[in-house]
Amino acid sequence: MPRDPLLRAWTALIVLCLGSTAIAVAVGSGLSKTALTAAGAVILTLSWLKARLILNAYLGLAAAPFWRKGFEITLALYALLLLGLYLSPAI
Amino acid sequence: MSGTARTIPSADPLEQLPGDLMMWVLIVSELLVFGAGLAAFLSVRITDPAGFAAAQDHLHRAAAGINTVVLVTSGFLAALAVRARCGGRRGRTRLLLAAAALLGTVFLVVKGWEFSDAFAAGLSTETHPFFTFYFLLTGFHFAHVVAGIVILALIGWKDSPHSLEVGTAFWHMVDLVWVILFPVLYLLR
Repeated sequence: MPRDPLLRAWTALIVLCLGSTAIAVAVGSGLSKTALTAAGAVILTLSWLKARLILNAYLGLAAAPFWRKGFEITLALYALLLLGLYLSPAI
Repeated sequence: MSGTARTIPSADPLEQLPGDLMMWVLIVSELLVFGAGLAAFLSVRITDPAGFAAAQDHLHRAAAGINTVVLVTSGFLAALAVRARCGGRRGRTRLLLAAAALLGTVFLVVKGWEFSDAFAAGLSTETHPFFTFYFLLTGFHFAHVVAGIVILALIGWKDSPHSLEVGTAFWHMVDLVWVILFPVLYLLR
């Protein structure tokens, strides 16, 4: 990984974006219902990681521990809400 | 913001906050609006998951995936512009902002093509609840990208370090919204 924090964040974001798209393509090629739901959960987890990277590296919250903690807790709770809503039809 | 991220944190939380407090109020407000929209989308999806999946098949996932890379890269260039300005390199700052705005324009062109293709196929907000949310959320985001490009142009013109921090924060918010919006609308099955 690059040493520059911005370049590192951008590289990680690109890898996560490609990962999400690759999973979606795999989903398109036909998977069982359980695998489909699991893939969706992974895609949501990857988007949570992408959002954290943008907040910390691009928006500079890495240098503001108080605000970073607040945003991370809120974002994690929101990601859990989306995950719960996504999984609801499968339960 | 990202250009000044490696300073020692202040003890006062308000002083820790990068950029301008009012910009953060705006960012949080926008995140709440989009966040509520996406939560509502997934709530309505519970009533008809098969219909939502069938509707989603009309979208261009590859185009949206390309647009994600485009927007994330644009955000990276905007963050580099703040760093360049903090280092006193105004020419490089303007070049990076222009490149960020250009990528923003590429995003709009691809999204515009997606919209025109959907309209040509007879899709509208009335077609299915999926498309009501799709057009409202991506249309609202589209408007934010337009506003963001105007802001990037303005801060390239009036390029004080403070203006750059505040203006690029808006652009990163647009980026942040898209990385959550894209998988929920285009990828979740």
